[in-house]
Amino acid sequence: MSTRPRPPGPRTGLLLLPPLLWLGVAYLGALGALFLAAFWTTNEFTGDLVRVFTLDNFRELLQASVYRTITLRTLGVAVLVTLVDAVLALPIAFFMAKVASPRLRRLLVIAVLMPLWASYLVKAYAWRGMLSTSGPLSWLGISPGYGLTGLVITLAYLWLPYMILPVFAGMEKLPDSLLEASSDLGAPARATFRRVVLPSVFPALVAGSIFTFSLTMGDYIAVKIVGGPTQMLGNVVADNYGVANNLPFAAAYAVVPVVVMLGYLGIVRRTGALENL
Amino acid sequence: MRDHAVSPSIRLTNVAKTFGSVRAVDGISLDIADGEFFSMLGPSGSGKTTVLRIIAGFEQPTTGRIELAGTDVTAMPPFRRDVNTVFQDYALFPHMSVLENVEYGLRVKKVAKAERRSRATEALATVRLDAHGDRRPSQLSGGQRQRVALARALVNRPKVLLLDEPLGALDLKLRREMQIELKEIQREVGITFVFVTHDQEEALTMSDRIAVFNEGRIQQVATPRELYESPTSAFVAGFVGTSNLLSGAAARTVIGREGMFSIRPEKIHLTDVPDGASTAAGTIRDVVYLGSANHYVVDLDAPPDASGASPTLTVLRQNLNDDGVSRRGDRIQLAWLPEHVIELQPPTEESA
Amino acid sequence: MKRATTLAIAATVGALVLTGCGNSGTVSGFKAPAVPMATSLGHNEGAVSILAWPGYAEDGTNDPKTDWVTPFEKATGCQATVKYFGTSDEAVNLIKTGDYDVVSASGDATLRLIAAGDVAPVNTSLLKNYGDIRSFLKNQPYNSVNGQMYGMPQGWGANLLTYNPNVVKPAPTSWASVFSPTSPYAGKITPYDSPIYIADAALYLKNTQPSLGIKNPYALDATQLAAAVAILKTQRHQVSEYWSDYLKQQQAFENGDSVIGTSWQFIVNLIAADKKPIKAFVPREGSTGWSDTWMIASKSKHPNCAYAWLDYIGGPAGNAASAYYFGEAPANAKACDVIATTDKDSSFCTTFHAGDEAYAKKLWYWTTPVSTCLDGRTNVKCTTYADWTQAWTAIKG
Repeated sequence: MSTRPRPPGPRTGLLLLPPLLWLGVAYLGALGALFLAAFWTTNEFTGDLVRVFTLDNFRELLQASVYRTITLRTLGVAVLVTLVDAVLALPIAFFMAKVASPRLRRLLVIAVLMPLWASYLVKAYAWRGMLSTSGPLSWLGISPGYGLTGLVITLAYLWLPYMILPVFAGMEKLPDSLLEASSDLGAPARATFRRVVLPSVFPALVAGSIFTFSLTMGDYIAVKIVGGPTQMLGNVVADNYGVANNLPFAAAYAVVPVVVMLGYLGIVRRTGALENL
Repeated sequence: MRDHAVSPSIRLTNVAKTFGSVRAVDGISLDIADGEFFSMLGPSGSGKTTVLRIIAGFEQPTTGRIELAGTDVTAMPPFRRDVNTVFQDYALFPHMSVLENVEYGLRVKKVAKAERRSRATEALATVRLDAHGDRRPSQLSGGQRQRVALARALVNRPKVLLLDEPLGALDLKLRREMQIELKEIQREVGITFVFVTHDQEEALTMSDRIAVFNEGRIQQVATPRELYESPTSAFVAGFVGTSNLLSGAAARTVIGREGMFSIRPEKIHLTDVPDGASTAAGTIRDVVYLGSANHYVVDLDAPPDASGASPTLTVLRQNLNDDGVSRRGDRIQLAWLPEHVIELQPPTEESA
Repeated sequence: MKRATTLAIAATVGALVLTGCGNSGTVSGFKAPAVPMATSLGHNEGAVSILAWPGYAEDGTNDPKTDWVTPFEKATGCQATVKYFGTSDEAVNLIKTGDYDVVSASGDATLRLIAAGDVAPVNTSLLKNYGDIRSFLKNQPYNSVNGQMYGMPQGWGANLLTYNPNVVKPAPTSWASVFSPTSPYAGKITPYDSPIYIADAALYLKNTQPSLGIKNPYALDATQLAAAVAILKTQRHQVSEYWSDYLKQQQAFENGDSVIGTSWQFIVNLIAADKKPIKAFVPREGSTGWSDTWMIASKSKHPNCAYAWLDYIGGPAGNAASAYYFGEAPANAKACDVIATTDKDSSFCTTFHAGDEAYAKKLWYWTTPVSTCLDGRTNVKCTTYADWTQAWTAIKG
């Protein structure tokens, strides 16, 4: 008997049609249209779209050092936010999965999820208040103000649940006996963490980092609220589209985070972490 | 048995462990000698695994004291104790190769690379897995994983090896092979083995001594022979081998004395009456065919015992194909020598 | 004494330039596309969609007492929806959606809107209040092409040097306090977030570095633009944040996250209303500023209500209310009387030099920079708004 699955019948095909249409037309189609626009230009004075093929946008992108600077800054912020979230998520997730009682664990999962119930803007503005020169942080003697530091803090806060949840799931899958075995074989807590816990949850960590990394790469609102004069990649795209009305250039610059994320996913694929998503 | 002049390999003094309101371990004192193959036998939930985990350091005793080779290790974390454990689920690190798994203990103790490589390879050779060093644990069979776990523990040359039902997941044939193999390895390396099992046959086959656990306490510590031939309590008599318990009125009628008694099934004669033997009459209720032998379940002509059940004796007889005389419903006379009647301690503390 | 002279020269040059351009009525090479103009009015459509600078069309949502949209709705039956924008670029972009009927456009947006055909010429004979508009605001290079008006003037004012007097001591007198590389208020400076802000730096350079030869802050050749960009890049390190959202600027001043920067009278009033320390003025170098015109979208779905709105907002009551609230000189001459009686503020129009044509010409109204130099130079090409936009991204870095 062959175990090859039966080819889908017409009924199955019909069922799949609407979601496939959505994926193909609405989802990927919009992306395709954007990239097409990257090869157009605008009338400099009136801001009207000129539908003539040109590579000027990409030339500008590669030649002006400011875009390189902004790309690198955005990458730096994304890496930092990811690292901060990883460093925070590991002990929290470990405590939730391995130390807390089932009751406390449920409470902690709710506590981690709860900020997701609030609007992104509310949270970002809350941090604007926190980071303000006269804000609560200043009462503690810390006042990073608005800028890169405040931005990293805010974004790390905003995306933390997206890191904790996969890492927590990874930790839960890690049998207690592995930790005991490591300790039994003479490894102190730190060595156990480095040699057993970390490699075991690494795919989960990578899965979480895809969220924190890509969300940071695309953010432009938090930057406006707590970033002070800082510009990120998303701001340039948003400003070019929304303010300067230069959709083609915005589209061209929007290719950059897509390329970066594709590269990142390519590296990630090798670690096998995508199976953990 | 506590007559060693030197410190025992392991000494537990009044060890107790409570989880919430459950007393998992209820005051245990125990000495295990150097080089001994010591088994902890008992039903699940009897506290044997908890005691093992307390020795390993995974659990802190609520009260009591643990010594390893004369040193108090009660407050010592597992990684400082000179013991190694073979886990029930083997607990092999899935992200490491077999060789890396075996090397792990040496690596975290910062043994030089060349040495740990050669020691790990050697340890794998002892368990006949030297050809599998590059594989991942997931690519091995259950028995192979078991042996990797063993090599991983032994490569550290611990003074004590703790084994937590290590054969539980294997099928019967493999299990028998591993029992012999384990025993051989223990003899070779000459270190103390503490072996947790719920399988009495396994315990009897392998152990120098056995501690029988029930409800968080040790019922009896003895050699396999002592345990089988002279169990001190009804529980031990029942858990180790098949027991034929007689008490109350049944004991008065059959044995002729007050008390609680047990006669092992293979000690009861079915067709002959040796000199000086005691006898009792009864009816065969059932004949159970076991292949090499038969079990005869006999209802005795005696009043009910203390618990109100009518007294029954099970008789084991080798299968000699001459049993035409003994069928269901046959009247029969049972005989045994008085020295085979085991007097058990009355269950005074059972109410606790 | 010296200061006065400088100012006088600046004013004269500015006036000359503006007049020069005004005479021609158009930027050379500039052609307005043919967009039909209304010749008569019909019935009101019952709705009008307004795109406005913050504070120009208050309907009581910010402050129940501040509401001049509702009276308009009652009088005309045109239900108004108001959308505020933060920068001229945003306005230019939004009007292209076709969702808006009218827009309050500053001089750096007007010509772009006309050139793109996004706004229609306005038939001023259909606006009965047009006659009361001060003459120096009519047929200006930023709101008309070849003598054809493209809208109803709203008012004009200056970008003000604004500061927190509790922190900024002594009181500043010059834009130097935001452009100096060694400002004691580093990290607390808040400039306006738009490429047009480059003109503020150019105006400052015009006074401090005469050798650069800047005559009009909106007519910069490559060298002049580079100089302006250089001081803005220096300023970048001292910036708390660039603002375009007036609520965020208000909050930043009130919390002390910003203590000095460019602002508008309207925002200053909001901060003062919250009883927070704030002061604003035109420094000795003069200021950039705006002269705004209400324009009608060429794709307007409610042209009759659009005309009604223009007539109302340019009329004595509407113009008085919006100009008074925003803090600018009203375009309608009769608005001053309304402010004096209704708002009991007889000094308002004096303060804002509402009728003072000479003063009005001292301000450098936002104008879209184009390659033909606005200061009349023909030997060089000037930088365009596109250049400024790229420079602005580079400045923020």
